[in-house]
This record gives sequence, structure tokens and C-alpha cells, in this order.
Amino acid sequence: MDAFLTSRNVSDVLGGLASGVIYALVALSLVLIWRSTRMLNFAQGAMAVFATYIGFAILAPSTNYWVSMAVAIVAGLVLGGATERVLVRRLYGKPEINPIVAMVGLLLVLESVAAAIWSTSSRPLATPFSIVDWQLNHKPMALSPFAVYEIVTSLVVMAIVAALFQYTKLGLQLRAAALAPEVSRLLGVRVSRMLTIGWMLSTAVGAVTAVLVASNFFTGLTPSGMDGVFAFGFIAAAIGGLDSPVGAMVSGLALGVVFQFVGDYVNSNAIILVALGMLIVSLMVRPSGVFTRSAQRRV
Amino acid sequence: MERIVGSRLSVGLSVTAVVAVIVVVLSSSTRLAVALALGVAVLGVGATFVSLTAVRRDHPVATRALISVIVIDLAIFLTFRVSATSNSNVAIGAAMAIVLLGLSFLTGSSGQISLGNGAFMGVGAFTVGIWAEHHPTTPLVAVLVLATLAGALVGLVLGIPATRLRGPYLAGMTLAFAVAFGAILNMFSSWTGGDSGLQLPTAVVAPHWLASFFGPTASSLTTSSAWLADISIVVTGVALFLMANLFASRIGRAMRLVRDNDVAAELVGVSLPRARVIAFTVSAAYAALGGALWTLINNSVSPSTYSFVLSITILSLVVIGGIGTIPGAIMGGIIYAFSTGAISWLTAHLGLNPQGNVASQLDGIIFGGLLVITILFAPLGIAGLVRHGWRWWRRARPTGIVQ
Repeated sequence: MDAFLTSRNVSDVLGGLASGVIYALVALSLVLIWRSTRMLNFAQGAMAVFATYIGFAILAPSTNYWVSMAVAIVAGLVLGGATERVLVRRLYGKPEINPIVAMVGLLLVLESVAAAIWSTSSRPLATPFSIVDWQLNHKPMALSPFAVYEIVTSLVVMAIVAALFQYTKLGLQLRAAALAPEVSRLLGVRVSRMLTIGWMLSTAVGAVTAVLVASNFFTGLTPSGMDGVFAFGFIAAAIGGLDSPVGAMVSGLALGVVFQFVGDYVNSNAIILVALGMLIVSLMVRPSGVFTRSAQRRV
Repeated sequence: MERIVGSRLSVGLSVTAVVAVIVVVLSSSTRLAVALALGVAVLGVGATFVSLTAVRRDHPVATRALISVIVIDLAIFLTFRVSATSNSNVAIGAAMAIVLLGLSFLTGSSGQISLGNGAFMGVGAFTVGIWAEHHPTTPLVAVLVLATLAGALVGLVLGIPATRLRGPYLAGMTLAFAVAFGAILNMFSSWTGGDSGLQLPTAVVAPHWLASFFGPTASSLTTSSAWLADISIVVTGVALFLMANLFASRIGRAMRLVRDNDVAAELVGVSLPRARVIAFTVSAAYAALGGALWTLINNSVSPSTYSFVLSITILSLVVIGGIGTIPGAIMGGIIYAFSTGAISWLTAHLGLNPQGNVASQLDGIIFGGLLVITILFAPLGIAGLVRHGWRWWRRARPTGIVQ
């Protein structure tokens, strides 16, 4: 059993899950916004990093990790809501490249401002969990307390979002506003408020993601630290289907595992090439995503 | 009558072109003023003979060629007059204008956007670097054509999914490519030189016969900065000429229809997948050409230049200049040529520490902010503002018969 748990393939699966949950969270926050406003939030990573800086760099370094995380989440909520009210709201009904350009502009501004205030050098966060792998019979198991913390936190966040959408009145309104804005407006749902809440939720999920990414001792917190993670998260969301939260999360996890195998058996540079290849093939075969059943656009 | 106008026109055009060339040749001598006066006089006489609107209507290609030649000549003339630093900025900016032309074409013709043109530039830049390592004596033109073809090839491969993708998906895919580009270079580090990149074996200098043709006084031509600026300007002019024709051609018109109404385009027989792939491939090829010039200008190529930030900068420039238009792309190139100087001026005037965090991020903050402001309040950028201003001016001062 021990030999099995420390074997190469099991290690790859465990390590893959730890990064897969991150991609799943990014994909989830992209889907939250896509479903409600039909926009791909290219600034998602930068907004999340900015919220994390607010939580971990403005407060004194000795502040408790969990307090900082809570501040980061609140900052995410505020940043997401403010972005929707100030910027995104002006872009509804415009040609589809306008929101893309605007969000890329926001990405550039946020990353530059973060770098101007807190410099581009990496800032380690005082994570309460060790990143040293557990040992079984003096062999590492590819699973550390930090990885377990990462996986558990991500699953909790996903569960909270799922429960919110499934079991609360607010969740019902959010779904209604996303699927049939006109009808729900007639039925008394305050659609524009729902859109704001959708952006707040998405950015809060992003803030948790960025905290998890930055908590990793090897990466730390950098202004552009989410660029790569965002790319993987987008690929996961696009393969799973931008309309399907479950699909996005499942494909995020699956991609994490696949990438770990590629990195282990081929080399780490090949990962993004494989990811790009998978994205292209999946978009060619099923442009709307593996898990989506929506009608395909005719033209 | 038609024929007479035609022959007079062609004579006029050739005379103007020749005079423009003479202005350039004489400019390095003291007879500069005479040459300029002569050129202006001939242009003026020519303009009185032919109606410019009629010429533009009847001979669009010839007009575009003429305008390109004059613009190239004037720009080259300027490179003799300014310092080496300005020349290298001009060279960099002119190459950037080519990249912007490509992206502008993609958006202007198919309504799509690419966030990966920085990486396509890198494809061209590294093609030159790798090729020069093995075949250092290849003629310049061949190297540039090769780099353009390499960019077109990569663009074609990535563009095939573009046949079925719409806006955000294509943008996301190109973003993934831009982010992945560093890893791709690393994967082939035995060719691309890894983190340190490649150095060209020989610097690009003017061939001896050309330098001697300009006479001993034209010593500035043999210094690489002026010569590189001239190459860059000529290539930009050619790229501009081809692009203007492409925009006006049957393909260009079909593509604008795709952008404005893809259902209508399909109804009148435009093949949507083909139009989209062509637009994407052309934009990638133009980006690669710009990147190839950058390698020649810098005499080296480094992977850190072609990061994701470059792709965003390209997008900012084209949006601020005016996306989907040719003047907008040129404007973006000019802005880029002067941005380094403008930002260091601003740094000095704001009293910032030039080595500090804020100063090093100033360009990102300014470009990003301008990008957001432009897309919100003037989606067609400077070119759109100028066009609006012109229309408003014409309406405010009616010259025709009042009904």
C-alpha cells in the first residue's frame, strides 16, 4: 500500500489534483461572469491578485493569515462590484470586442499599479501549512499539508457557491437573471443588482484562488502571478464549456492531473503546448464545450 | 479625352515620384532647400493639372503607390536630420506600425481580436535570429520574407480553430498562446538560445555600393541606426501599400461585410471560415515581419521582449490609434516611437526616481488607463476622433447650395 501511494503515477495524480483545484476555481469564477453577462473577464487574475495584495500587503506582516485572507475576500467583493458598476455596465450591448479590450486595459492598469506600489519582486506569505511532503517509509508521497489545505479550501468554496445557487433565494434570482433577464425583470428580480452580485461573487472566488496560489512558498505573491494560472483556468473553462459550472470545475481538475503527467513524463515546458493543443482540438470538435448542451450558433 | 487625362496623369505621377527621390538624395548635401522647394513646386503644379479626387477614383492603386513613395521618401529624409537615438526610435516605431496594421486588419475586417500578436512578433524575431546563425550571408529581403512566411504558417495553424470561434474564445486562445510563448521558446532552447536569446553574427550595415552612390557626404547612411531606420521605413511603406490595397480589394470588402453582418455575408456567398482564417493569417504574418525588423534593429533577440505584456501593449496602441483603420495603425506606431521619450520626460517632470517602482510601471498605467478610457468614450480611437471632428467641421461650415 505504501509503495502504491508513493508510486510515480499516484504521485502525479495527487500533485495534479492540487493544481487542478486552482484551475477549477479560476474556471468557476470565469463561468460565473460568463453566464450572467456574456463576458470573458480577462482581468480576473489581476483583480484577484490586487485583492490579495490588499489583504496581505497593506496590513502589517504580522497579521494573522486568516484575517488577511478575510480582508482579501472582502476586497474581492468590493473590487468586483465596483468594476461592474463603473466599467462593465457601460459595455453591455456594445460590439463583442469592446469588453475584451476594456478588461485587458483593466488587467494592465491593475498589474502596473500593484507593481508600482508593491514592486514586482515576489512576496512570500506566511502560510500556516508546511509544503514539505509527508513521508511514507522514508519516501515522499507528493502530498503535503499545504496541498491538502489547497484542495479542501477549493472544495469548500465550490460547495458554498453550489449551495448558494441551488438552495437560496438569491441563487435562484441569480440563475433567473442570467438565463432570462427580460422575464425575470418582469417577475420582479432586480437584474442589474444580480449582475453586480455575480461579479462580486466571481471576484471573491478569484481572491481565494489568488491567496492559495500566492501562499505556495515556491511562487509567492507577484503582480503578474496569475497570468499563467488564468490561461490554464480559461483553457479549463473553454474545454468544459463557459456555460457549465460543473463542466468547468471537472475539466479544471482533469487538466491539472493531465498536466502533471505531461510535466513528469515529458517536461514542464511541454505542459502549455499540450494545453494549447487540447484547447484547439476541443474547440474544433465542440466549440461550445464538452459539458454544454446549448444550441450551436448557426453561422 | 479619357486617354489624354490618363497619359498626363502617369507622366505627372512619375515626375512627382522622381522628384521625391531626388529630394531624398540631395537632402544630405547643402542643396537641401533648393531640392525641397523644387519638390513642392512640382507637386503644386501637378496638383493644379489633375483633380486629386478624380485620380483617386480612376487610379486607386497608382495613387496609393505614389502616396507610399512620398511618405517613405519624406520619412527617410527625416532620418538624415535627427540623432541616432531618434533614428532607433523611428525604426522601432515603424516596425511596430507594421504589427499594428496587421492587428487593425484582423479587427477591421473580421471584427475579431488577437491578444497574441506579441508572440507572433516573437516568431518572426526568432526566425531571423535562428536563420542568421546558420546562413549569415542571406540577403535582407529574403530573411524578411522568410520570417513573414514563418509567422503566416504559425498563424494559419492557430487560425484554423478561428473558423469556428467567436470573439472571446479566439481572444482567450491567443492569450494562452502569448502566455505559452516563453515556455515554447524554452522547449527549443538549443535553437532559441534559452533565456539569453540570440545575437546576430553580423550587424546590418548599408551595402557598400549604396553608400558610395550617395557620395562621401552621406556618411550617416553607413552608421547602422540611420540605415536601419531607412530599412524599417521602406518595409513599413511596402506593408502599408499592400495593406491599403488589401483593405480596398474584393477580399477586404467581403471581410468588412463579415464584420458588420456575418449572416448577410454568408448569404451573398462569402465563405466565413476562409475570410476569418485569411484575416488571422495576415495579421500573424504582419506581426512576424515587425518582429523580424526588431531583431535586425537590436542586432539580437531576447525572449523577455516577447512577453505577454508586449501583446497587451500592441492592443493598447492599436485601440488608442484607432482600431480597424490604417491611419490608426500608423498613429499607434508613431505613439510607440515617441512613448519612451515621453515617459522619461514625464518621469523627470513629476520628480520620480527613474529607477523606482512607479517610474518603471508608468507606461503600463498610462497605456492601460488610455485603453480603458478610449474604448469607453472613443471606441475608434484617435482616427475616429479626427474623422468625427472633420465631419463636424464640414457640417458647421456648409459650402454647397442651401436648399
